[in-house]
Amino acid sequence: MNPTSDEPLELVRLLAGTAARDANAFAELYRRTSARLFGIALRMLSDRGEAEDVLQEVFTAVWRRAEVFDPALAGAMTWLVALTRNRAIDRLRQRRESVPDGALDLDRFADERPGPAAQAEAGLEYRRLQGCLDELDPNHGRSVREAFFSGATYNELAQRCRVPLGTMKSWIRRALIQLRACLES
Amino acid sequence: MNASVEEGGPELRYAEYVLGVLDADARADVAREVATSPTAAAAVASWQRRLLPLATEIEPQEPAPAVWERIESVLGLRVPQRPATGEERAGLWESLRFWRWLSVASAALFVAASLLLVLFVSRRPPTPAIPYMASTITEQAGRVGWTATMDIAHARIVVVPAAPEPLSAGRAPELWLIPKGRKPIAVGMISTAAPVAIQLTGALVAQLGPTAVLAVSAEPPGGSATGQPTGPVIATGTIGAAAAAAAQTSAVTALTLRGPAARELEFERG
Repeated sequence: MNPTSDEPLELVRLLAGTAARDANAFAELYRRTSARLFGIALRMLSDRGEAEDVLQEVFTAVWRRAEVFDPALAGAMTWLVALTRNRAIDRLRQRRESVPDGALDLDRFADERPGPAAQAEAGLEYRRLQGCLDELDPNHGRSVREAFFSGATYNELAQRCRVPLGTMKSWIRRALIQLRACLES
Repeated sequence: MNASVEEGGPELRYAEYVLGVLDADARADVAREVATSPTAAAAVASWQRRLLPLATEIEPQEPAPAVWERIESVLGLRVPQRPATGEERAGLWESLRFWRWLSVASAALFVAASLLLVLFVSRRPPTPAIPYMASTITEQAGRVGWTATMDIAHARIVVVPAAPEPLSAGRAPELWLIPKGRKPIAVGMISTAAPVAIQLTGALVAQLGPTAVLAVSAEPPGGSATGQPTGPVIATGTIGAAAAAAAQTSAVTALTLRGPAARELEFERG
């Protein structure tokens, strides 16, 4: 089950098979990626039923539009993760109450770190990103992580960690600009 | 650099879109741009490459096997081998062909199986009071749209289309459970063309019974986004005990061997 160095290429092959209407390639793609994508949706939506609906939407879209995938633009997993996050975020925006259960303590704000196993498995891209995140001001870095994992808006993030909206926007924008510079250095 | 922080700028908006911090309107604007402008699409893809590796930190979670079954059903796929989701095929219960056949023959089967059950019941070990429930989901015009069979022990429902009226374009049938005097609870998306098996939550199973009703409404393809039916209710059915049930495998086999579907069933089991 451990990802091998050939895994990204294998996923591209399975996506190409899916675009060619190969149902076995599609089933294999689901087997290899559904648990990761479901984990992402579940993390954002905190609701198994809704996360399952997102997973279903993602894979029906993949079957119908796999030919849209462009390996020159993004890796296969990146493309699938983006599809999943977009669907999950759209659902979050449709929910009426925007701020769930109370404010969060800034110190506990998305301060989790991956376990040793996740770090060992993670690819080069992740390790570079992690290195760049570590260089950020702690508040900026935590805000980016919380935004990424929760799918919350600027407004929701500001309320959750009890800072003015302008402050939250400035933290995240500075972090994004700094991350781009760091990743491209 | 400070100026770009304060003003944002187009490049930063793509980053904010990928990170997910924009509100619904701003998101829709960027999504439209991505769809029409290759430059915007390339900028978004660059930010995805930068930021999405963070998803590596999220622990994978195994989705319920019913999700794959729903995907196959919605797309009309019959893949020869199911992806290994950890659950082995459970014989007859998993055989969609059997359930399709059952929907045609269900009335006769239940009558006959009831009779057989009388013969068998004294020799069987004790089973849950009502191990199986069934519902005939009927459209307004009186036509049977779907038949549903619920396996209480395995928290599972199989919904088989009989002859449902086609839905208007862009609509899909969603199944709801309506406990007496309460709001509808979403069960899952079903199909007008193929049988669908759905895993039920414990909370849903607890609501199954003669006072509850199953209903089908016409919803957007991914299902109602509000958690409540948004489209018209097109069919309803009461829930009854199906103690005679199907799952008394020997009884079913005995019956089917006399029926025209015997060969088909044997094929499925073999």
